[in-house]
Amino acid sequence: MTLPKGFGSGGSGGASSADVEKMIGRRVENMTGIISLAYIAAWLATFGGTAAGYFYYPWAYPTPSGHYAFIVLTIVEAIGYLFCVKVMEEGTKRKSNGIIGAVLGGTAVGTIIISLFVGT
Amino acid sequence: MAQMPALIPKEVEIQRLKKIWLIVIAMGSTAASVEVDNFVDGSLHQTSIRDSAFTPAHWWLYSHFVALPLGWGSVAIYDRKVPVLRGPNNSMNTGLKMTILGYLATMFTIGVNEMWHFWFVEEIFAVPNHWMFNMGVVVAFMGALAYVVRVYARLVELGAETPGENPYVAELYKMALEGKLYSRAIP
Repeated sequence: MTLPKGFGSGGSGGASSADVEKMIGRRVENMTGIISLAYIAAWLATFGGTAAGYFYYPWAYPTPSGHYAFIVLTIVEAIGYLFCVKVMEEGTKRKSNGIIGAVLGGTAVGTIIISLFVGT
Repeated sequence: MAQMPALIPKEVEIQRLKKIWLIVIAMGSTAASVEVDNFVDGSLHQTSIRDSAFTPAHWWLYSHFVALPLGWGSVAIYDRKVPVLRGPNNSMNTGLKMTILGYLATMFTIGVNEMWHFWFVEEIFAVPNHWMFNMGVVVAFMGALAYVVRVYARLVELGAETPGENPYVAELYKMALEGKLYSRAIP
C-alpha cells in the first residue's frame, strides 16, 4: 500500500497504528459535542427563518403556518441529529445517550414554548 | 458492485466516509430549510407581490443558494481523500458533480432573477427566470442521492455497520452480507 508523503517508514512496510491515527485526525466518535452544537445552531436558524413570518410580515405568512413549518423542521433536524451521533459512535464503546436526551429534550420543550407563546 | 481494492487503511476510510456523511446531513438540513422558505416566499409574493429584493424571505432563500454550492464544494475538497469515491478518469464523483452544478445554477439564478425583476415587478411562479431555481434544485437532489447511496454502499462493503444485538438479527445480517438471505425462499 502506498502511503502519502510523511507517513510510513519510507520502505515497503505498511501503515503503523500511529500512521493510521495521524491519517484519521479527530475521530468521528469524539465529535458528539460539535454535532450537538451544530444541531442547536440549525434549530435556532430555523427559528430565525420562521421568525420572518412571526415578526416582519405576519399578514403574508401567518404565525400558525410558521409554527407548523418550525415543528416539522425541528423533527426532521432531530432525526438527522440522532442518526449523526448514533452512526458516528457505532462500533465503539462510546455512548452519549445522556447528551442526546438532554439536547433533544431541550429543543422539544423550546419548540413547544415557541409554538405556544411566540408570534401574533 | 465490484469490491474495490483498498488504497487506504480500512479504519481511515470508514472515518473519512463518516465525516463526509456528517457534512452531507448538514447540507440536507439546509436543503430542507430551502423547501420551507419556498412556502414563505410564495406566501409573501401572493400577498404583497414584490416589496423589495432584500425582503426577509429572500435573505433566507438566497443565503442558502450561496451556502449550498459552497458546502458541497467543501465535500468535493474532502472527497479527494477517499479514492473509491473518484469519478470517471479520476475526476470528481459524478453525483457530486451534478449536485454542485445544480446548486451553482441556483446561485447564478439569483442574479438572473433580480435582473428580470428590475423590469418586471410581478411574481408569477412560472416565469422563465424562476425555471432554473427549480431545475437546479432537482438536478442537485438527484446527484446528492446518487452520492449518498455510493457513500452508504461503501460503508456496507467495509462492514462498518454494527450487526444487531439480537442473535437472530445478527445471523440475518451475516447472511445478507454473504448474499444468502433469500436463498432459503428461492431454492
